[in-house]
Amino acid sequence: MEPDFKDILLFKTNIQTADDKNLIAKVMEKHKIKQWTIDQQDVDCVLRIVSPALKLEEVIHLVSKNGYQCEELI
Amino acid sequence: MNIHLYLFLKLKGSMRVRDLNKVELVKQKAMELLVRIGFEGFTMNKLAKECEISVATLYIYYKDKDDLILQIAKEEAERMSNVMLEDFDPEVSFEVGLKQQWKNRAKCMLENKITSQFLEQLRTSTYQEEVYGTIVSNFKITLGKFMHNAIKKGEINDMQLEVYWSVAFAPLYNLVRFHFDGSSIGGRPFVLTDKVLWDTFELVLKALKK
Repeated sequence: MEPDFKDILLFKTNIQTADDKNLIAKVMEKHKIKQWTIDQQDVDCVLRIVSPALKLEEVIHLVSKNGYQCEELI
Repeated sequence: MNIHLYLFLKLKGSMRVRDLNKVELVKQKAMELLVRIGFEGFTMNKLAKECEISVATLYIYYKDKDDLILQIAKEEAERMSNVMLEDFDPEVSFEVGLKQQWKNRAKCMLENKITSQFLEQLRTSTYQEEVYGTIVSNFKITLGKFMHNAIKKGEINDMQLEVYWSVAFAPLYNLVRFHFDGSSIGGRPFVLTDKVLWDTFELVLKALKK
């Protein structure tokens, strides 16, 4: 099913390498965030999450806490 | 039009509004950019700049560059293959059917230059399999049926699909390529006229018909 567009959260990050992605994958799993992707081909390593429950600030906090830059993609 | 094609514009605060024109703009600009600079040089940032929209707007619809290329390619391949099947009946005689195919394909390619060049470029890329493997199955079935009918009715010899395609359509594709380039072998200026098109068709028909 198509996601509701208001449920799409977008972030500019520095999750650049495969190792970085593996680490974030564990974080996502731990917090039961299932629908997420990172565009590592892009200079902004855009993190895209589909979730009706999560808030922007929660994701920024979660990613930052694990040592990565994370801000809303505008 | 496909629902997931709709793009959303971010307006005041978090309100997002559908804008169909913008979707078409993104598709058109993406194909133009890909044809111009190739798959390697293409980035979401460059595309956003071309469209004068934010990168975030692109990411609402597409997960990443590959997702964008594949979605656009699948939609365009499907749209083009539907146009190519317009008024085409696989049960008609070989000559009538092949003529209709030439008419449809020439019209379709000439009226959609950027899409044609984009899909052609895709053919030699790693995206090829995913696009052509799944989406154009109805197209393949109908045209396969047409060829097999012609063999069954004794209008053409039994041959491999690849051999058939190479004789039946490759000459047309090549003429269109020359036309798009504006020149042929050794830089000779070239324009595809109706006469050239249908003269070539007669030669193809002669080659295939028993």
